[in-house]
Amino acid sequence: MSWLRAITGRFPSIVIARRNVSRARTRSLLAAAAIMIGVVAIGAIGAGGAAFKQSQLDRVQEQGATNVYVSPGLDREERHFDRTDLMQIDETVGGATIVATESRSMEYRIRFEQQRDVSATYLDDPRRLYEVAAGEIPKNWRRSAVVSNEFALRHGIEPGDRIMLAPEPDEGEDAVFSPYRVTAVLAETQAFGADEVYLPIEATGDRQYSQVRITTQSVGEAEAAARALREEFNGRKDTLIVFELTSLVRLFKSIVNGINVFLAGLGSLSLLVAGVSIANTMLMSVTKRREEIGVLRAVGYSKADILRILLVEAALLGAIGAGIGIVLALLVVLAANAIFLGDPLAFTSESLLYLVGAVVFGIGTSLVAGAYPAWRAANERPVEALRG
Amino acid sequence: MAPAPGDDGVTADVTGGTVPTDEIIRGTDVVKEYETGGQTVRALKGVDFGIAPADFVAVVGPSGSGKSTLLNLLGLLDVATSGDVRLRGEDVSTFTDREQTRKRKETIGFVFQSFYLIPTLTALENVEMPRMLDRTPTQTRERATQLLERVGLGDRLDHYPDELSGGQKQRVAIARSLINDPDILLADEPTGNLDRDTGDRILELFDELRTDENVAVVTVTHDDYVAEAADRVVTLIDGRVRETEDRRANFEEGPDT
Repeated sequence: MSWLRAITGRFPSIVIARRNVSRARTRSLLAAAAIMIGVVAIGAIGAGGAAFKQSQLDRVQEQGATNVYVSPGLDREERHFDRTDLMQIDETVGGATIVATESRSMEYRIRFEQQRDVSATYLDDPRRLYEVAAGEIPKNWRRSAVVSNEFALRHGIEPGDRIMLAPEPDEGEDAVFSPYRVTAVLAETQAFGADEVYLPIEATGDRQYSQVRITTQSVGEAEAAARALREEFNGRKDTLIVFELTSLVRLFKSIVNGINVFLAGLGSLSLLVAGVSIANTMLMSVTKRREEIGVLRAVGYSKADILRILLVEAALLGAIGAGIGIVLALLVVLAANAIFLGDPLAFTSESLLYLVGAVVFGIGTSLVAGAYPAWRAANERPVEALRG
Repeated sequence: MAPAPGDDGVTADVTGGTVPTDEIIRGTDVVKEYETGGQTVRALKGVDFGIAPADFVAVVGPSGSGKSTLLNLLGLLDVATSGDVRLRGEDVSTFTDREQTRKRKETIGFVFQSFYLIPTLTALENVEMPRMLDRTPTQTRERATQLLERVGLGDRLDHYPDELSGGQKQRVAIARSLINDPDILLADEPTGNLDRDTGDRILELFDELRTDENVAVVTVTHDDYVAEAADRVVTLIDGRVRETEDRRANFEEGPDT
């Protein structure tokens, strides 16, 4: 008595089922292959889609989905924030970093008689928003300017250069240009809403801000900050316009989820077909084994025993298919992870869920498909089966 | 309705009043009807029977006379339409399907004309098959080996059915029927597919089993020489017992005829 037999003796239904499955090898393999295709379809589409979604979400996050932007609301008397407002906002959002800015349009003189509009941001310290690529920003940078990487490239500007800027003139008036020294060029950024020219807030003369940017560490924190601001300031009146990218993220998530579920649903259609194939295989198998099942009933196997043996058999077909299928699906998902997330092992919890779900559905489909043939075989009267 | 053994006047007359009290199964005035294509067919029209340990009963008769129906009732594969069938005093019509299956497993061994061995299992595994779900692999294997040795196939344990001759297959089937230590062995044309010499060996085996294991053998047969070997021959014609020849007849017509 080998140890192997001691173990298999404990699970006789599996041993019997395995024997029966290997009896009509081609037919069993074809049925398992159908399940395999379904599992690959669901697993690869679902988990690959999850990887794609994650990559897009990461991107959105880079572009500032962790930020909340606040500007003066419609019911507010002033069209700007002052220091008191900033302190209130700072208190409301707790630990998050807040950066107040004032945006204005300016004229930039490229050379004599040639100028173009640029958007300028006035703020205390550009380093709190962006990285500096070249040059330095002194503590007191009055009369200095910091320009974006794109702006610097476009106009061939390096730190130390002078640029001529003027506030946008009223109708009919000439622009009054003043010189600003470029002290730094910012690093390239993917961020949403980055301006071209940054000037010290002192240059506005009144220390009034048109916008406050609140930077948090995650999309969740950004959502919480936005909620807190709305509760605090927008009770009966809309004193703040709170804008966050998280609502866009949510929209994007729901769109991608919808597409993903739809595609995985198409994948499960193939499992449905696989179920039909399993049912067909099992029906043929029990019809062929009618007498044998009759003998089993005669020698003392109960209806429940027959039902169990045949269900285990169907589940085994499903497990073989799902087993091969999940390996193939994993390969596809490894590739998808490598392409979208840059690391083949960067499984998201969602993609793991899809993979596990595919296996469960694969085996579940086989069980459901095997139920009718098994039930029919178990309920056949042995007298009829043995009549031949 | 159900007479105690020996109470039945007819039985007492024919058997000389010596109905054994240790009967395994007894039927009284058993009627079995089938529905086929909207018609009711009366396969058995009131038959009495009793099987005691170590009996060897041959049931003969033309086809359609109800032999198989009788065997199915004895084997607890089917239930009588009317009449009384008792297994060790218990009314079998009260059994649930599960109980019926369990009693069948404990009491009855089946041997079929076409053996019905499972082609994917070895001789040894075929013999173990009725007990495969019992989760006692060690005892089952011991017992199965012992039984195959008993039927003279100790050297064929690992052969598959298609590597065995007809007689060997039937001996495997007999070993299988004995794995649960049955009281009755029901054999449907056990020698039907075998030549005379092989058939003789099977009959010898039945005799040995009756002597050594106290198993009753009931066989349905067309072969006169099988009938000759039995202690009792029951002839069924058109659902009724027509004649019984032997020393201890427990089969005869019911009181309604």
